[in-house]
Amino acid sequence: MPPTEEKNTLVKPETETWKSDMERVGFVRRLFMARNWYGADWWFVAISTVMVFAFIFVALFPGLLAPFKFDQVVGTSFLAPGEYPDVPVLIVRSESPVEKLLDLAVPAEAIRPTVGVIQGAPAATAVNEQSKTLDAQLISENKGLRLRPRIERYVTVEELMVAIDTGLVQAGVANLKEFDAVASSYPSLHSGASITSETASAGGFRMGTNDIGQDVLSRLIWGTRVALIVGFSSSSISLLLGVPLGLMAGYFGGSFDRLLSLLMDSLYAFPGLILAIAITAVLGPSIYNVIVAIAVLYIPTYYRIVRGQTLAVKEEVYIEAAQSIGARRGEILWKYIYPNVIPSIAIVFSVNVADAILTGAGLSFLGLGMPPTIADWGIDLARGQRYIQTAWWLITFPGIAIMLVVLAFTMMGEGLMEIYNPKLRER
Amino acid sequence: MTPIVLIVLMIGIPSLILLLYIFIKGSMGLRRYILTRIGLTLPMIFVLATLVFVVMRVLPGDPVRSALGPKGTPEMVEHMRENLGLNRPLIEQYGVFLMDMASLDFGKSLIGGHRPIIDEMSERFPATLELIVPASILALVIGIVGGTYAASKRKAAPDYLLRIYSVVIYSLPIFWFGLMLQLLFGVWWKILPISGRIDPVIGTSLHKMTNMYLIDSLLSANWPALESVALHLVLPTVTLGLVLSGVFVRMTRINVIETLQADYIAAARARGIRERVVVYGHALKNAMIPVITLIGLQVAILLAGAVLTETIFSWPGMGGYLVQRISARDYTAVQSVITMFALLVALISLAVDIIYSLLDPRVRY
Repeated sequence: MPPTEEKNTLVKPETETWKSDMERVGFVRRLFMARNWYGADWWFVAISTVMVFAFIFVALFPGLLAPFKFDQVVGTSFLAPGEYPDVPVLIVRSESPVEKLLDLAVPAEAIRPTVGVIQGAPAATAVNEQSKTLDAQLISENKGLRLRPRIERYVTVEELMVAIDTGLVQAGVANLKEFDAVASSYPSLHSGASITSETASAGGFRMGTNDIGQDVLSRLIWGTRVALIVGFSSSSISLLLGVPLGLMAGYFGGSFDRLLSLLMDSLYAFPGLILAIAITAVLGPSIYNVIVAIAVLYIPTYYRIVRGQTLAVKEEVYIEAAQSIGARRGEILWKYIYPNVIPSIAIVFSVNVADAILTGAGLSFLGLGMPPTIADWGIDLARGQRYIQTAWWLITFPGIAIMLVVLAFTMMGEGLMEIYNPKLRER
Repeated sequence: MTPIVLIVLMIGIPSLILLLYIFIKGSMGLRRYILTRIGLTLPMIFVLATLVFVVMRVLPGDPVRSALGPKGTPEMVEHMRENLGLNRPLIEQYGVFLMDMASLDFGKSLIGGHRPIIDEMSERFPATLELIVPASILALVIGIVGGTYAASKRKAAPDYLLRIYSVVIYSLPIFWFGLMLQLLFGVWWKILPISGRIDPVIGTSLHKMTNMYLIDSLLSANWPALESVALHLVLPTVTLGLVLSGVFVRMTRINVIETLQADYIAAARARGIRERVVVYGHALKNAMIPVITLIGLQVAILLAGAVLTETIFSWPGMGGYLVQRISARDYTAVQSVITMFALLVALISLAVDIIYSLLDPRVRY
């Protein structure tokens, strides 16, 4: 039905040809024709499609987008978004080739470089320890290089900066925050690499760091992969089981249908998450068990809709015609009935992926879904909940990610419904 | 008298009397409908119980070994299996399981003081009830008011906003929404408590008769307790209620729009009745009937949501109990709670269908 049909109480003659044209136009045309979805425009659906593809891209290539690996410890724990990791860094003159502590290594017989530190600061001990470990490494590599900087102590940050600026010392070590506080007065100086194993990210971390110093943004990006794997694979399994069962129950009927429908209706009525909790509790936490548990939940969704449609299509005249020309039952099911249910399956699938992602996240939030080593939004939320009093960013961002993914798939499902079935437009 | 018995009596006796009254007063068709509907509920309960059995006993995974942990010697494992009847043939276990569930004998807890599970559940079930009843009422009120308003302002700004609201709410992970409310109201503004049912100090002064603290504090006229209970109830109720409300807005809206296109609405308008009266007086009443069936379908979402909400707000209800016992590997408790949930689903959908048949005389077998 064209979208304007109900508005036109006066049916113009050309509407009829236009209507029949509508019946023949393809998918893309319909996408542009049906403009009144949600009362908004078609771009509402377009946005959701773009979002879905964007999420799929992120899930396929998280390594390209994430600044770090999901299990990499990159900074101090509980850094707020944008907060500087307050790690000791090497401070050098801008033109100096020295960027990290190892650059200060010199041949064994050469003059040892001087490194300035602030008296009593933890950075002073850090530089000592770090150069000892690096030195031991250099000795074992046996290239004739040694790292034995002489430590020069200063009382204030300003004294240290002047010393570096005037070349009294080759480099200085200070905490990043201390340096940033005075950096504007010493334009010729810049901060190099961190001297400890932690990464000194100059702009801080966009979404902060978690309780053990992992980058929240990176975990978020890697978590997309797990969410989509759970969503797609569990929905595909339930589709593969639910659709044939629904087709057969609807077409053959009888006691097979009644028994199966009783089972499916009971399964459908059961609170999905609670059943999934039971299954994963028995099977143990692993991504495969989560997928199986969720797949079981959503079989009835496909079964019911396919069975209903099969029952309706079965009465059509063309089925009768096929029967009368001697088509076998399997052929009728596959060639005449099945194509009719494909659009509904596509719609259910899209909404189903959204539901599965929500359920999967709920399971891992309860600690039942994934093993804790996996980057998963539900796990991150559960971990963040313990620090709700101090670290808001731990619970805010993973939740937004779940919501956006689910929103994208739900909206796409509803959009597909509008396209395939304009009669439902107002629903 | 344990609290659960009190509650069962409080809900059960009036509903039985009501059912009997409907049954005697009702027409032949209504009587047949109610009988058939009850007849259909029994196989459903049976299938649900079987489902629980299959999940808990037939699926691979050894509850005894995981309950005992790595320290369990083979003798201990054998002993525990013997005690729980897990070494008997599966079909015999199934029979015993069904008998136990039919007589509501859930066995004893595997951990702690080995208390009967029915006692433990009777402490927690009222808490769940106290959470899901106000949450459903909130969801219904938002759904009906919002849905009707959206339908009456069709294709105008309020309609679009409410539709976006229902899509967004649908996509909202309930556990995250609860956490955000906790963060805002509990941590940043510090105006509402974020965990538990009552202030622990005030809680000691409350005489717990039904374990539904709202009713308890009202009955004993304990006003500070009432205030504390009400404050503790706000965030969990809003979390669960708002998340449920999305579907109700959507369904009410569709039904009201459909009803507004009916002939009798046109007739009402033609008689010059004001639009507000037409929408709220004529259309809403008829549009409500399908919405009631929807309430029955939402029970599953409600209970699943309750499990998550209880976990976030440390609410000592059935859901929190379930999660706690899963991590303690107390599988008799897990099995019993899940069976209870299944029973609850079957009974509520039965009740909803009977109410529906009363409201809509067309529904008959």
